[in-house]
Amino acid sequence: MHFPSIASTPPPPWPVILGGLHRAARPPETMSEPGTAGTGSAADAAPLSQTRQRICAALDAGDAATARQLLAGAVAEFPAIRFVESWLSFWDASAWPDAWLIAAVRRDPPDEPALDALAERHWRNLFARCQLLTLDRDKAADLAQDAWCRILRARHGLRVDGNFPAYLATIATNLWRDRYRAERRAGGMADARLLSLDAAQRTDDGEGSFLGDLLPDLDALAASEQARLKLDIDQALERLAPVLRDVLVARFLGGESCAEIGRRYGRTEQTVSGWVRQGVQEIRAFFQETGRFTPPNPSP
Amino acid sequence: MKTETTVEKMLRWRLEQAGTEAPPAPRASRLLALARPWWELWPERARQLCDRLGRIEMAYGHAMERGGGSRTGYPVPALLLRGDAEIEASARLLYFTARDGELRLRFVLELPPEAAQPPEATWEVTFVEEGATPRFLAVAALSVEREYRIEASLPPALAAGWAGLKVTDRMPFRFILGPAPAKE
Repeated sequence: MHFPSIASTPPPPWPVILGGLHRAARPPETMSEPGTAGTGSAADAAPLSQTRQRICAALDAGDAATARQLLAGAVAEFPAIRFVESWLSFWDASAWPDAWLIAAVRRDPPDEPALDALAERHWRNLFARCQLLTLDRDKAADLAQDAWCRILRARHGLRVDGNFPAYLATIATNLWRDRYRAERRAGGMADARLLSLDAAQRTDDGEGSFLGDLLPDLDALAASEQARLKLDIDQALERLAPVLRDVLVARFLGGESCAEIGRRYGRTEQTVSGWVRQGVQEIRAFFQETGRFTPPNPSP
Repeated sequence: MKTETTVEKMLRWRLEQAGTEAPPAPRASRLLALARPWWELWPERARQLCDRLGRIEMAYGHAMERGGGSRTGYPVPALLLRGDAEIEASARLLYFTARDGELRLRFVLELPPEAAQPPEATWEVTFVEEGATPRFLAVAALSVEREYRIEASLPPALAAGWAGLKVTDRMPFRFILGPAPAKE
């Protein structure tokens, strides 16, 4: 019996590879060639590469509905593209880049699958940021949701080429700041704590204060100790004046410079630098007071 | 085991922990429902306010005639919501452009003497088009003296229509100013 060598065996035709899914299934590399399309569909009117370009153009313009129509037409004619990696990202909005999602959300009405994907993608980080500002799970969820509402109300102005997560965080921080200012006006917070911030503190050792002599390796902590530490960090942050909390979060988690923070508050870079040092010092003092995470003596 | 831990590192660790404990993201349908403008949430209240706003036009007709030849443009009838009070007023536009979908507008509120008080720092301004239809919401911030400034992106449907407007034109909108009767 003669067995042909593998090297000399021609590859099976595409309809076989695809399980005969479609009568006209062709290799993707031939689909984009002019004249290879069949007749009777939108995809027939133009080579597949042109359809692809039109889909991209529609998504760039935020017209997700048109993009889906074009895609459906292309797939009806060329089912093989379902399996082509370069086409996979079209199917699932969660695989779209932010720019496409934002463009689709900017439209009237906004594209819901795109909004779902955008909210899902950035929710976790936004919530975490809100949690550190509010120190309350429910308030953090409300704040994050309100930030989204604010963004949706002004969604026509969203920039597709901007840093969307940073923008989200800024909106949430601004909302939180407005709220604590309103609370302060209503007498809910001690003005003295805020007034004292005008004096820059220069008595400690700066932004990067080590807690190394106080805290063990955070990742090496047992679960119960991690839970305790979370509470302690929250307590330490809660003891800070809201301005200091905001400044520490903006500086260390938002990556803003003291000058940038200062512009927002109408204060000098030096003043903000003093606030950062004061915040660090107060957190450090809190952990020194509790002494809970003072590491044990080294083992013999 | 012990490492040198900075406050930054500790905060980042806490942030990461908070992220892992985040509740599920709200669905788009919920976010969109929450973000609906006040006139969609309370259509009856919106209709009442727009009706009243429409009637102001008559009372300010004379002022509008005077305003037509001025450098600053026509006054825009405005209804101020201050607490429970509804105050009829007008806004004199000082500057208006709506290029590339970006609205830039400055105005001064002209209030009846009995309503004069220190100016509010911000107003939420609802643009009500001819036909008493609220179309657009933006925040106006006090800049100098009694002058308010709006910088906002326009919905595409308005951007095209307003692009050619000049400050000296009679504006196709009126204002409702105030904290919108929304849940926020």
